Amino acid sequence: MILSACHLGPTPYREALALQEGLVSARASGTTGDWLLYPDHSPVLTIGRGGNPESLIADAATLKGRGIELFEVARGGDVTWHGPGQLVGYLIADLSRHGRDLHRFLRDLEQSLIDALAAFGVAGERVAGRTGVWVEGEKIASIGVAVRRWVSYHGFALNVAPDLGFFDLIHPCGLRGIHMTSLARRLEEKAPTLAEARERVAVAVAAAMGYEGLAWKDPAQARRLAEEAAGESGPRAEAHAG
Amino acid sequence: MPISIVVPQLGESVAEGTVSKWLKAQGDKVRKEEPLVEIQTDKINVEIPSPGDGILERILVAEGTTVLVGTEIAVLSGAGEPAAPAPSLAAAPAVASAAAPPSQPARAGAPAVASPALRPAPSTGDGSSGNGELQVGDGRSLSPAVRRIMREQNVSLAELAAIRGSGVAGRVTRDDLLEYLQSRTAAPARASAAAAVAPPAPAAPPPAFLAPRLAPAAAGPREEVVPFSKVRKLIAENMVRAKHTAAHTHCFDETDMSAIVGLKREWGPKLEAQGVRLTYMPFFIKASVLALKEFPWVNGEVRGDTMVVKKFYNIGMAVGRDEKGLIVPNLKDCDRKNLVQIAAEVNDLAARARADRLKPDEIQGGTFSITNAGVYGAINSSPVINVPEVAILGVHKIVERPVIRDGQIVARPMMNASIGFDHRVVDGELAVKFLRRVCELLERPELLWFHA
Repeated sequence: MILSACHLGPTPYREALALQEGLVSARASGTTGDWLLYPDHSPVLTIGRGGNPESLIADAATLKGRGIELFEVARGGDVTWHGPGQLVGYLIADLSRHGRDLHRFLRDLEQSLIDALAAFGVAGERVAGRTGVWVEGEKIASIGVAVRRWVSYHGFALNVAPDLGFFDLIHPCGLRGIHMTSLARRLEEKAPTLAEARERVAVAVAAAMGYEGLAWKDPAQARRLAEEAAGESGPRAEAHAG
Repeated sequence: MPISIVVPQLGESVAEGTVSKWLKAQGDKVRKEEPLVEIQTDKINVEIPSPGDGILERILVAEGTTVLVGTEIAVLSGAGEPAAPAPSLAAAPAVASAAAPPSQPARAGAPAVASPALRPAPSTGDGSSGNGELQVGDGRSLSPAVRRIMREQNVSLAELAAIRGSGVAGRVTRDDLLEYLQSRTAAPARASAAAAVAPPAPAAPPPAFLAPRLAPAAAGPREEVVPFSKVRKLIAENMVRAKHTAAHTHCFDETDMSAIVGLKREWGPKLEAQGVRLTYMPFFIKASVLALKEFPWVNGEVRGDTMVVKKFYNIGMAVGRDEKGLIVPNLKDCDRKNLVQIAAEVNDLAARARADRLKPDEIQGGTFSITNAGVYGAINSSPVINVPEVAILGVHKIVERPVIRDGQIVARPMMNASIGFDHRVVDGELAVKFLRRVCELLERPELLWFHA
């Protein structure tokens, strides 16, 4: 099977969510294959089902003041931040192809990111019990996945060159005293651009997750498929601030 | 026909999942394939669809609860069917309540609480009688939620007394009770059936070689599955993280505690009269603070590729709390407090740690920790560093031992001291010198006076 990858360009979080849900329906009913979507999000905070109100440091007023929306979503994990400089990847994949093994799926996803980092000369690693990718004790990529009808959505966020100050608004993933890092911080001027990272990660995902190839698609095609499949399942997230 | 909703297989290595969200409420109509509940494991959250049409008759597992794969979490009644009056849990036999029968099956491993000590003994098993505050004979009180479940599930006080409570002062919590009910469904049914049958007339005693070799097995299952509490999960995570990140190394020394024993003997009763119980911990803290000032590198934290040396002295002390789990609150700014202030704070922190009354900032921001395995009798230990700190002092039981003083064998109250240190940043030389200095300050407390 070929993995379809697609750079969506600037996409409001709510819209990305609806697009994913549409594609999940399409994937579950077999009208399309697996997709890797790359949205460009404005700063947004999302809280997963492992969420804990204490993981949020900033109050609603601060968030509103800085124009940051807060979404509660059905993915696993606690709170995280998405925004410019970060490579956000949503993987719409049929888990039946991955033995319907949730933990294996997470480990494969981690492996993809570790492989991509290795290509840039950064040694990413796993930390047992703390899903994500770490570099010398600092977190460089977060993972949070949702599954509906054995099709995955949501995915990962790799810090390429974001303003890491945004993570001070939260305890990322509910972990205290955690330090975030980025490719820019590790590699300084040798760090890849977002476009280079996007390309490299897509190749790594396709390889580590057992796809036969990778094909870049027009975002319009993904949007059309999602709209056709949307039907009864509207967006399930609610905005809480902003 | 009621349909049982269980946590499905989610992969080879997935043993359990947490109910993250019920998408339907009890009593809701659901259609086949309609999303019913979400289960989270690790960083992945799965929507579980309904296996059929019907009414969500009963939710058995609350949001936030972690259960094993295969656990029944809800019951769905078929469409159009009358509501089943007592599904699942309630199918357990109504165990006679008032006077607990002597055959009452005790839960394996639970303390044998004598049933006559129970009070009051309601005739219905209804826990809400009397003034509302109901207690088991040993003084454990019951929350309204527990009483409600007892009433609904016909749990007698005798049964409750046999449950090991995980709450404050051994109190039986709602979760304890629900867990007990899960294990009860099968066992008591058999037990009470057996009890109902009159014992067979005694036959001639069997020949000796037929006599059982083993004492009869205790009633109930032979194993008990105890899910990790939140605290236990955190402890486990911290311990593994500590062992993963810090290059743990240990070294050991010993100290003659004669002077401190003498000081404690003399000052203990005087301070007691002022309401402050004096233990050895304040002396250990005082000695550590002075040694840390002399070896500032030990009072630090590894942050990425940097070593952060702290100029304040928040000393953590490990407090054991039986099954509630270890916690390490810290005393702030110990360098600015005298021994009596430290003694009072040590007592207060330990008491509140045991009662779950610590404030969040009291378990954060420590710079160095001390653990006293001696209170349980250990004469030595190699403690795990309370990361991101870089060292921990282990103190132990004070034992009278023969030592040589001026060529003579004499008995002295001796104590082994140990240090666990992060060898990434603390060299052996530094650790040994630091530990020696702590021991020296304990041997000659007057140095505290000269140097502090």
